Amino acid sequence: MATQLDTQPQLKLRPAARVMNLVRLGSLHASRLSFSRSLVRQMAREDWTVTTVRDELDEHGHGVMIYRLQTPHHSYHGVIFSQHLEPEHRSDRVIAEAWDVTFALVEGAVEDSLLAQMAANVPLQEAGRQHPRLLVLSRANKSLRNFDHFVEALASGQQPDPAWLTRVGYLYRTTAVYGNGKFGIADYARLQKNPDFNRPFSAQMFAVYLLRHFSIQQVEHLARSRSPAHAVGLAPQLQRYLGIGNSTGLGMAPFLINHPQLIQQWVCCRERALAWARGQLPTEASRLELMTLLRRAHQHFVETLTEDAEQTRRNAATVESIEAVIHWLEQTTAGPCLWDNLLDWADDHCSLEAQELINTLLIELYPDLIDAVEDELGCEEILELQPEMRAAALKQLIESKFAWALDYDPKNPDHQYWFWYRSVEKEEPRLGVRAEEPGAEKELPLAIGPRIHRTYQLLDAFLDRSPRGSVVEFLMAHPGQKECVRRIQTMGATPYGEIQANLWHRDMKPMHLLRTKLSFFGASRFDPKSDRWVRVTLFQGAPLFCELFSDHGTDKARLKALDDWSFPVEPDLKPS
Amino acid sequence: MKVSFNELQGMGRKAFIGIGFEEGDAIDAAEMVAWMEAHGLGGVAALKKGLDYLLTEDPARTPTLVYQDADFTVLDAHNHSILGNASLALELGYARARARGLSITKIRHCHNRVLVIGYLSRLARRGMNVTAFWRNSHEPLIEQVVGFKAGHLVPEICVYSLEDIPDDTEKNDGITLIMANHVDLLPSLRSDYALTNLMRQTEEDLEQQRGRALVEGLEVDDQLWRTLKTLADRLLVEASEASRSGAGAGKSDND
Repeated sequence: MATQLDTQPQLKLRPAARVMNLVRLGSLHASRLSFSRSLVRQMAREDWTVTTVRDELDEHGHGVMIYRLQTPHHSYHGVIFSQHLEPEHRSDRVIAEAWDVTFALVEGAVEDSLLAQMAANVPLQEAGRQHPRLLVLSRANKSLRNFDHFVEALASGQQPDPAWLTRVGYLYRTTAVYGNGKFGIADYARLQKNPDFNRPFSAQMFAVYLLRHFSIQQVEHLARSRSPAHAVGLAPQLQRYLGIGNSTGLGMAPFLINHPQLIQQWVCCRERALAWARGQLPTEASRLELMTLLRRAHQHFVETLTEDAEQTRRNAATVESIEAVIHWLEQTTAGPCLWDNLLDWADDHCSLEAQELINTLLIELYPDLIDAVEDELGCEEILELQPEMRAAALKQLIESKFAWALDYDPKNPDHQYWFWYRSVEKEEPRLGVRAEEPGAEKELPLAIGPRIHRTYQLLDAFLDRSPRGSVVEFLMAHPGQKECVRRIQTMGATPYGEIQANLWHRDMKPMHLLRTKLSFFGASRFDPKSDRWVRVTLFQGAPLFCELFSDHGTDKARLKALDDWSFPVEPDLKPS
Repeated sequence: MKVSFNELQGMGRKAFIGIGFEEGDAIDAAEMVAWMEAHGLGGVAALKKGLDYLLTEDPARTPTLVYQDADFTVLDAHNHSILGNASLALELGYARARARGLSITKIRHCHNRVLVIGYLSRLARRGMNVTAFWRNSHEPLIEQVVGFKAGHLVPEICVYSLEDIPDDTEKNDGITLIMANHVDLLPSLRSDYALTNLMRQTEEDLEQQRGRALVEGLEVDDQLWRTLKTLADRLLVEASEASRSGAGAGKSDND
């Protein structure tokens, strides 16, 4: 069904060469179309309610918690297993075998038999066989320093120092959030007709959001257990400022390459939203609103801390750029070309992260139409062959839509420096140096650029022999090219089909791939631990369950206020 | 054991690559098996039956053209499984039908023929009417006809046995495909002919089966799953200190 955005005449979309540049993609921020934002809006709009149906935590906070989620359409249960974990076993990596908490989101009821099956398998994660009614399977580890500080403060009747959450914005950090059939759980196809969770990763986002709720309940429970007479609850401002961490490594990279149609949808929805926002008539009110958003984002980035030198430099550049943007906007009155002029000026004067931040905030100004595209973030994924196409037309398609792939030089060692593979250690994805490490013969076919280059070379030779040949005739001669050809044919018909980078290149930064996906999830506080390993925070600043439910129905002003939680800043707990 | 559709598809893809399939063929083969199983058509059983043969085949040996004109193509699959790169033979028939309105493709000397249904679904999705015909055995003589209507993702299937076996029948290990751009080719049984209807599955039956499979999961033989896992593990690289650092993680995750 066409949305209002589709009916806008001649949206000026940014060119793919600019948008799909890996360094630019690696500078994206969470936006109002990010999955966590979208989920919170849906929960508020539809008055989702969560109740605790089983609370069996002991004085150490270990045991089972079960929550019931009721939406207008269905009921679900979140089941959390909390256990003691020796510090030496606390690992963020996929090769870990035990975690502080393991949890799952279940469709429907949790009968005793299912709970027993889950208790035997959910804590094992990948090593267990999971039930097909589980929609999400996940685990998380504590941020010990934050956790201990929070329990200690609350037990002594004090509020924790908000600065602790500014340094590390959570009590728990997830290390994997599985959906779509992994280890026996439900296939995503089962959710496609379910209005609660039919958007990409929405069930996973809900599971993470529920863990945030649990983490608050658990620290309050521990504080009460330790000091029943003096313990206090966590202040609402701190509950809001508390997010959930996520630790991500190279495992995220194959998804981006193996789901090009989904990435195209995500990027295209965002770009259409930006083009539409850019085409709106700026007013004095919208100019002032953008400045308000910029000031909050400025404070967010001033406060953001990371030990990573490159990210520290990028954050500083963002802060500096935002100050310049605010100054520019203060000097400029609202005219018809304000947004175009601003973005042109930012191209020349702002860092990449700041340019994408301005785009993100510009989208915030026009929620009514832009939010309509969130239903288009998913798609059916199938790469289709067009065997009847002329081989010459395929060659032209590569030249016109994949010119970036033809930059690959097979004779240049830097162009094939890396190779991607899976290790025998729990199939963890890794990067190796081709000239130095064994295993290149088993590499994952993630470098699409060099593959398209190879197809192009073979096509060139085929066309010398058979100038009027068809694609299927080319493939009969070169059957190994089938997957690449149908990818070219399918993605060539889309504006933002491929990440335009050679993933073998020595200068390629895997961090950019991770950030691309995480930004669509809604992650903030990017805290790289190496060039291929990053910690982020989700849902920091998001409203709480108790705020989402309302007897007042869909009050537009209330929903707008609840949705305004991007780029959160440290709360001031001092009495005014 | 119970597995999800996505698990069966993913494990199959890795196992087929482990056997030596090209990536595209491995993706297609895994999808054919999982698609068949999800629709209650015995994809896993067919794979189990054919896997030992598959392991002895040369995955690089493609079907060869025996005869072709503008409408009619005959290929020899060299006694290989249809799971290999036979999909290109089907694509050739598709391209001919697009150009000429109708095409006939015969693939001779192939096994695991029932799994072809999983790929025909792809062709029907692209707007092609497709019918496939083959004989399963000789005593009794069983014929199977599968028909997809253009744009429909599931077929109608007829399986029947013939009471009177023609004198000149001989072993048939081939498959015949008819594709038409503009007319339905759905199978329907002649009521005045002496045959026994063994199975008739409608689109609705198959859709319901898929719905059940998504709720309950797919049953896979434990031994077959272990075999697939062993094949898939051929793609994994041994761990070393260099490879552990290649993951890029820090040394301590306590904070």
